[in-house]
Amino acid sequence: MRSPISWALLGLVIQRPSYGYELVQRFERTYEDALELSSPSQVYTALDALARRSLIEKLPADDAAPDALRQPKPHYGATAAGVRGYQDWLIAQVHEERRRSRLFARQLAVLAPRAALAVIERYEQACLEEAKRTPIATADHTSDDGASGLASRLACEEDRLAVGARLSWIEYARREFRGLAAGRSRQR
Amino acid sequence: MTLLALERVSRRYGRSSHERVVLRDVSFELDSGELVAVWGLRRSGRSTLLRVAAGIEAPDTGAVYFAGRKLDGGGELGSGIGYCQRAFRGAEGGIVLDELVVAPLAHGVRPSAARSRARAALERSGAEHCATRRLNELDGAEGMRVTIARALALRPSLLVIDEPTNGVDLIERDGILSLLRSLADEGIAVLISAGEATGLSGADRALSLADGELRGSRLPELAPVVSLHRQASA
Repeated sequence: MRSPISWALLGLVIQRPSYGYELVQRFERTYEDALELSSPSQVYTALDALARRSLIEKLPADDAAPDALRQPKPHYGATAAGVRGYQDWLIAQVHEERRRSRLFARQLAVLAPRAALAVIERYEQACLEEAKRTPIATADHTSDDGASGLASRLACEEDRLAVGARLSWIEYARREFRGLAAGRSRQR
Repeated sequence: MTLLALERVSRRYGRSSHERVVLRDVSFELDSGELVAVWGLRRSGRSTLLRVAAGIEAPDTGAVYFAGRKLDGGGELGSGIGYCQRAFRGAEGGIVLDELVVAPLAHGVRPSAARSRARAALERSGAEHCATRRLNELDGAEGMRVTIARALALRPSLLVIDEPTNGVDLIERDGILSLLRSLADEGIAVLISAGEATGLSGADRALSLADGELRGSRLPELAPVVSLHRQASA
């Protein structure tokens, strides 16, 4: 299963059993602009895909308080395989991140040194912009109890640490390409 | 309005084969109410840049202007610029409030007014609880808040702070950054250095310094132009 929407949805079902419409709302609240739904129907498609793989299951209807007037809302809960699969997928992201970084480095290396330096310059600008935009955790922010506050703080800190590592890498890459450019101009 | 301007500033240390160029033709401007953060690795020259900007160290070439006045590197503290080093060392065993009163007194402020200023500055920087503590009893975040308070007691229009989050616990770090952001929002120009990208959060502009070269938006960002005509007809 490759769709990040499906895995993100599985995470929400693991957090607590839920039904379609509520999941659409929780999805938008939790992932904000980090992962966007093109339409609410994506959630229903993803629920089907997760159920087919036995990662989630329909929970028995709550007979204690039936509401004859309303259409039943099927609630989904995660299976043990779903919880294990979600954890494995999270860990696999580390490899995916690493693959992307290595691909970027290799794609940069095929450029002529001066062109690569120009890309590095723009990449650095983008990183600096991202760094300054990362919000400071305000008092309200830190007192925000529950998973959404924690998720925001974790995401902010991850952003800041990642951009710091990128800025350090940019310095290293700049020196390498400058050395290469100087060597080439000496050869001429 | 441009409060601080560095024009083609260069600074080098050492001589001949040992010479190290720390700032190379650096130009940038800072407006009142702006928070600008300069990121750089160790030995990138970020502390030198701040000392030159604060008028403590003179550039080899180029010029530094503060409020239209050329700084000569002789140290202009108390004349509108507050400079904060990472470690604030006062008198042996002195208490915080007494340490903060010293600078206003030295600038001719009456003792009672100097004490009021020191208290107000401690309160503004969120360190009022440190007033009767000894300097060596403060933790990293408290030390930085007190250092900022000491600068605020002189009512600066420019605050220059070398690595405000260095040595500050992770949990306290954002509180320091929020304080700096709020000081800028009140109209003080704030220039800080950062060894980690976390220190860039909340800045109006983030710059980087490496091999003596300053990169990023070196001029204040202009406010978007709004058509008065369109506003009036709306």
